[in-house]
This record gives sequence, C-alpha cells and structure tokens, in this order.
Amino acid sequence: MMIVAAALALEAWALYVVGASPERWRPTMIVKDEPAARALYETMIQTIRQADSLSYNCTCADPDYRTTYYRISLKKPGFFRVDLMNGPMDKSSILVSDGNNFSVFWPGGRPYLWFDDQESHEKTRLNVYMRRTVPANRVSIAGEVARLGVAWYGCILDPSTFHGRTDVFDPYIDGIRSRGTDKVEKENCDVIEISYMKAQRIRHLWISRRDHLPRRIKEIVRVAENQIVVEEWSGVSVNANVPPKTFAWSPPEDGRLWSAPTPEDFLPKGGQEAPDFELSAFGGGKAKLSDYRGKVVWLYLWQCGSPQCREEWPQLQKLYEKHKDKGLVVLSLNFVDDERIAQVFLRENPATFPIIHDCSAIARKVVRVDYRNKTMAIPMSCIIDPQGRIVDAWCGYEGNHTRALAALQKAGLQLTTDN
Amino acid sequence: MRAYELIKETFFRGSYIWIVHVAWLTIYGVYWWLFLPESPEYGRFVFIWGGFLLPLALSAGIFGDDIASGRICVLVTRPFWWGELYLYRLLGLSLQGAVNLILAGVIATVLYAITRKGSVDGLTPYLIASWLLFNTVAALSTSLSVVIHRTYNSLLLLVVITCGYFIVSMLMGYLGQQAGKGTFMGFVRYLCPPFELLFKFAHGEYDIFSLTVGKFSLPKSVACVVHSLMLTAAYSAVGIVLLTRQQFSRTRD
Repeated sequence: MMIVAAALALEAWALYVVGASPERWRPTMIVKDEPAARALYETMIQTIRQADSLSYNCTCADPDYRTTYYRISLKKPGFFRVDLMNGPMDKSSILVSDGNNFSVFWPGGRPYLWFDDQESHEKTRLNVYMRRTVPANRVSIAGEVARLGVAWYGCILDPSTFHGRTDVFDPYIDGIRSRGTDKVEKENCDVIEISYMKAQRIRHLWISRRDHLPRRIKEIVRVAENQIVVEEWSGVSVNANVPPKTFAWSPPEDGRLWSAPTPEDFLPKGGQEAPDFELSAFGGGKAKLSDYRGKVVWLYLWQCGSPQCREEWPQLQKLYEKHKDKGLVVLSLNFVDDERIAQVFLRENPATFPIIHDCSAIARKVVRVDYRNKTMAIPMSCIIDPQGRIVDAWCGYEGNHTRALAALQKAGLQLTTDN
Repeated sequence: MRAYELIKETFFRGSYIWIVHVAWLTIYGVYWWLFLPESPEYGRFVFIWGGFLLPLALSAGIFGDDIASGRICVLVTRPFWWGELYLYRLLGLSLQGAVNLILAGVIATVLYAITRKGSVDGLTPYLIASWLLFNTVAALSTSLSVVIHRTYNSLLLLVVITCGYFIVSMLMGYLGQQAGKGTFMGFVRYLCPPFELLFKFAHGEYDIFSLTVGKFSLPKSVACVVHSLMLTAAYSAVGIVLLTRQQFSRTRD
C-alpha cells in the first residue's frame, strides 16, 4: 500500500513538472541575462550593421501556415529593396529606396488593403505608386510594411537594422539567455531566448555559427491569446555584389502618385457624438462612458506591449492627478492584453484613473466599428467634452502632448501654463 | 533460475526473434551508411524503429500465441504467481530492447569512426528515450496480448497508434482554440505512450511553433523518465490483472 502511495505521489510530481503549460504566462518566463547569450545577440546585430550588402529570402508564417514571402536586398549607404507576397501565387508589393527616394509600387496591380472598399480599390488599383523623399536610415522597413498592411505578417527583425536602426523593443529587454544548439536547414545554430516587457513578448533566435546571422526567429506575443509568428531566412548572402539596378526604380509614364490613407483618417471627427459603451472594468464591475457625462474625458486605448503606451502612461497619470479636480477623467481601455500581464504592468506603473479591461468581441466592435479604428491602432486617443461630443481623435503618441492639451482646452478644461 | 528461464524464453520462443534483431541492426547500419546523419536525425530514426516498432515485433503474440495454442496451460501447471510470468516476460523484452539499442549506438559509433561523417554527439539521450518508449509500448502490447489471441496485439497497436497520430494531428487543427482541446491533449499526452514527452526529453523543445525552446531541464527530464516508467507499470498492472483473471486449467488434458 505504501509503495502504491509513494508511486502515485511521484507520478503526481512528474505530471506537475512536465505539465506546466507554456500557454499560461508565469513570472518564471522572464529571462535572466546571460552575458554569453547577450554577446551572441550583439554580435548578430553588429554583423548585420557592418555588412556592406545583405540579401536573403525570408518567410513569416503563423501556426496555420499563412505565409508572407519576402526577398530582401540591402546595400550601404542607403539602398534597399523588398519584394513581398502573401502566398506563393500572390502579386508582389515592392518597397525600394535608392538612398533618398523611398517608393512603393505594385507591378501587377495594388492588392486589396485594410482601408479599401470595392470602389476605392478599383479606382486606385492599377498604375499607382507611392513615393517620398527620405533617407533610407530614416525609414523603418518593417514599420512601412505594417503601416501599409500589405503583408499578412511583417518581418520580426526589421531589415532596417542593416541601416543602423535600433529595434523599438530593444530598450525593453528583460534578459537574454542561451537555449542550446539546433540545426536549421543543415546550418548549425546557437539558440537564444530574449524576453521583453516582463515576458509579454518573447523571441527565440537561431543564430548561425558560421556567419552569425539569424536563420530562424520565433516571436511569441502574449496577449489575450498567444500569437506566434516564425520568420525563416534562406539564401543568405553577405557582402555579395548586388547590381545597382536592383535599387533603381523610376515611375512609369502613365503611373499615378498615390498616398494611402492613415488609420487616423477614419477616426470620428470633432463635433460628432461619442458612441456610448459599457465594458468590464479592471478588477471587476462595469464602466460606462456616459457615467462620465459632465466631465472632460480622455478615452485612451492602450496595451502593455506597446512602447508608445509605456512611454505615455506615466504622463497620463501625472496629467490626471493634476486636473482631476477640474473635471478631467482619463478613461483607459485595454482590449488586448492577458489579465495577468496587465496586472504586472499596473503594479509597476500604478494608475489612479479608471481602467477598462475587456477583450470581448463587444469591446473590439466598440473600437473597430463605433470608434472606426479600422486597424485597431494603439495607442489611440479621443477627447470628449462634457456634453459627450468628440473634440479630437488621433492615433499614436506625440511626445509633448501639444495636440492633446489643445483638445482638452477646447473641450472646456481649464489648463495652467505649466502643462 | 525460474526468472532466468522465463526471461530466456522471450528470446527463444520463436525463431523470428533473432531475425528481427539482426534485421533491425542492419536497418540502423544501412540508414547510417546511406544518410550519414547527425545524431538528432539518427536518434529520431532509432526512436521510431527501436522505441516503437521493435517492441511491437518482439511482443507479437507473447501471450496470445500460448493462449491460442493451449501452451499456457502447461506453463501454469507450475505453482507460481501468474504475475511472475508476465513480469519476467516483460523484463525479457526490456533486456532485449536495451541490448538492441546499445548495439544501435555501437553501430553508429563504429560507422562514424570509419566514415568520419555525421555525428554521434548527444546520441545517448535518444537511446535512453528509445528504451523508455520501448518498455512502455512493450508493456501495452504484452497486456493486449493477454486478451487478443495470436499476434494481433502488435498489429492492432500498430494500426491504432499510426491512425491515432493522424487523427490527433487533424483534430488539433480542427479544434483550434476550443475549450476541450486541453483536456483531449492531456489525455493523449499523459495516458497514451509518451512519444511526445520522450522525444522532447531527448531532443529538447525546438519545434518550429512551440511556445518554449531549449533542452529539457534536469527536473523535467527526471519527471519525464518517472512518468514513462509509471505508465509502463500501469500498463503492466492492467496486463497482470487480466492474466490472473483468466481461467486456465492447471491440469493437463
């Protein structure tokens, strides 16, 4: 009997150890720094930056194997060309820079993008291109791809690292550790794990021992549901002679200069009534927008994993503390994050203003349909006056709050000069 | 002496047993010679051939043959606990598996020494994992052999596990994020032969879309070994109970 009891206890322990689900976020997922692993990461970044030219194919796929294909060519001082396709049969989108002019064009016609309706797409499908004069080191290739929404999955490692750009998540690295060795397509690789923002985001990198460049990058973003994207590199060529014509492109004679709308173009305009909503408050209960009628409301859409939100959050708290007695309410809405990760963030960044945490379909509808944030861009701000009318709405973080303060003042909030 | 006789019997019970061993060792050698694999590739091959298919081949009809032919009645005329018969036969299979897998390692090492291609670094965890899987599958097959006559125990297990693999893979895609997926996966992962756990124990978690990455830590490795041994014990216990409940005559006709 004793033997059976001991065996059952041992089995219970074994199941506990092997059964710890990687799907649930735990504090132990936060990586502690290992100097050797960090050196591998830094060597990889240096190798990319010090190369004179770099070309590779990469695929970015999710577990359902929805794949975006990239062909990337980069050359110093400021050249790049990115050909991308969603699926092997798709028409390609091409982003190219000759060092000063950044262009986007579609040889086979423009794909249907997030902002399109049937009519607008038909009108601007053929012979259009985008162009602006900007040095390549001021362009984030991954950022441009994301902004346009032309790819199912953007590159995890921004190709603009080659031109010296720093990854936006690098300042939020918790630590880097080694995870052994593995092979990718017969290439011996060191595997490292990087966690960002208390393991809200984790990247696993397979770095080739031969050329110190990545062969596989896996990114896990822990939001309400885990999101996994894997980027795989092949056909890597460093310091090879890339012909100049690769980066040369001039608009065709019948081409039309076109600019894609931004998410902000679709947001509700000033003077419209703010759509009411009732959603779950953080820590229990419900929060309703109309409950704050009579006050100036700054509706703020945020998530823990956004560097911009992390930067803006303490300033919002300061502003709220200063003006809450004058009738300011910052109503923050998080419709993205896992609750435990949001808790960790709020422990480190306490806020006294009301927080809504609701990842339901209703919350997403409020954001996407009622507030017309078509791409669910975060952060998004909307200033609402005491009568419940929208004064201004915008996406992103402007840094000095000029626009926000102007809108708050317009909404009737008495601001002092030292804001 | 009785133990030795019963263990020895698992090897000599059919002339095909030694043919299986020779065939399997030849297959290991040919695989190495043709592909000059790195140790994870060779390890994966041995894991399936040695850990899964070998116990099926060796345990085919291990009780079923005796029961079908009536030889079991001769065996049970001796005054011993029937569980012993089961245990020593399983032990006999396990020892054969261990020797076969050690020889698989030796073959790889010798061929590596000759060819100087491929690699044998880190092969040991694969051999241990293969042996643990061998024991679990052998226990399951032996227990099935108590109730399924002749050699159909192995055939049934081969068909069920192979089909089960494809069905589970399809269901995983179909279930997506549905609530029942966790329970279903728990059943497959912890109650069925531990293919996934033992492979990860040997190989580490480097699957392309897995949520973790790296070699198994020491506690996780120990837990994995413990779980597979417990599963072997549980499958064996079922077999012993089934065997002791069978009504065999202790007297000869």
